Formats: sequence, C-alpha cells, structure tokens
Amino acid sequence: MNLTANDAILLAHATLGVLGTLSAVWVFVETLNAQEQNAQRIQTAALAVAVFMVLAWIVGGYWYLHYYPVEKALILKRPWPFAHNLFMETKEHLFLMTLILSLYLPIAARDRPHANATTRRMVLSVAFLIVLTGLTIEGSGAVIDHGVKIALLRPSSTVGAK
Amino acid sequence: MSADPARLGRTGAAFGMAAAITALFNTTLACVKDAYRPLQNLMNTIAANNWTTQGLSDGILFVGLGLILSNTRMVETIKPDRLISFLIAVVAVAGLGLFAWYAVF
Repeated sequence: MNLTANDAILLAHATLGVLGTLSAVWVFVETLNAQEQNAQRIQTAALAVAVFMVLAWIVGGYWYLHYYPVEKALILKRPWPFAHNLFMETKEHLFLMTLILSLYLPIAARDRPHANATTRRMVLSVAFLIVLTGLTIEGSGAVIDHGVKIALLRPSSTVGAK
Repeated sequence: MSADPARLGRTGAAFGMAAAITALFNTTLACVKDAYRPLQNLMNTIAANNWTTQGLSDGILFVGLGLILSNTRMVETIKPDRLISFLIAVVAVAGLGLFAWYAVF
C-alpha cells in the first residue's frame, strides 16, 4: 500500500469532519429525549463535536496550506474550475461557521436541557445546524475531489480559470 | 445555570449571540477580502494564509464577544426564542450568502 502523508492527512480531515457531524446527530437525538439520566451524555457528545471539529480544522488547515495548491492549480485549468471557485471557496468559509457553532454547543449543553425547554430548543437548533452545514461541507468535499478526478481523466479539456 | 426555566443561562445566551454575530462577521469578511485584494494580502501576512487569519479572527471574536456579553445584562433583555430564531436565520443567510457570492463573483 502506497499511503503518502498527503493521503493520510486528507482522509483524517474528512474522517474527523464526519465524526464531528455524527456526534452532532448524537447530541440531537439525546436532547430530543433529554432527562436527568442522559444529561452527562449530552455534555460528553457536545464536547466530542467541538473536539472533532477543532481537530478537523487543524488537520484540514495543514492539508489546505501544504498540499491543496497543486490540486487547486490542476482544477482551475481543467473542465471543472467551479470545484474550486464555488465549492472549495464556500466550503472553507462555511466550515468556519460550523466550527463556531461546534465551540458553542458544549456551552449551550451545560445549561440543563433536560430541565429547561428553552435550552433544549437552543441545543437542538445548534446541533441541527451543525449537521446541516457538516453534510453540505462533506458534499462539497466530494465535488472538489471529483474536480481533481475530472482534471486527471480529461487532461486534454482545458478551461480558463475564473 | 438558568434559574428561570423559560430563559437561557446568561453564558449560554451571551455565547449564542456571539456565535450569531461571528457567523455574520465571517461571511462579511469572506466577501470583503475577496473583493478588496489589499485586505487579503494583509491577511496572508498575519497567519500564513488569509483563511487561517480569518479562522483565528472568528475564534477571537466569538470568545471575546461571548465573555463581554456574559458580563452585561444586555442578552437577558432578548427573548430566548428570538435569539434562537436569530441564530438560525443568520446561519442560513450567511451560508447561502457565501454560496451566492462565490457563484456570482
């Protein structure tokens, strides 16, 4: 198996993002059934969201700075420049919003969602937004990946960068 | 902790408001730096890349605003459901705004 640092870091980034999104689903489901018995689990899951998303940011940021420029140049010269111009640009900035929501989730979850209906609504809303933006980001990652694949599979087709 | 079950705790409300403001700031900064190259160049020099600088700015703004608002009574005057609706609306508008910006420009 020929696994480079580039491959490992990129896969770790996507995996951490998925784990963060799944943890947000976990928070959502636990909060729907919030009781005193699962109060600690809600806080643990909310903390897991924050930890996974921060790690996804650090790992993804390292990959973006060190490895992505080569792929970006390839994408921009080939048939799918929008894979970078639209999807990567939106993804990298939308992720920062997901990151802030992920940092906020453990703070909101500390406020006893099992005893406070307003807190429960806030935790449910934030967890839902993290899942929604997380899935959008994962989907954008797939489009970017396909943009590189198309560039390699159709090297004769060129399109000017935006 | 919130004493009144109909309200968010002060810290929760303060950081909720900080998250909404940071989301707006994030989209605004993304558009402004894209339109105004000198700002992007400046951000490139601060933390290796404009995106890294933007992430750090968002983090500092979120924590700073959250701490400041936690020490004021301002967030307690906002109805909790209004704050939740505001946060959802801001994330939706800011997210779609990012997509629209990069789709058009």
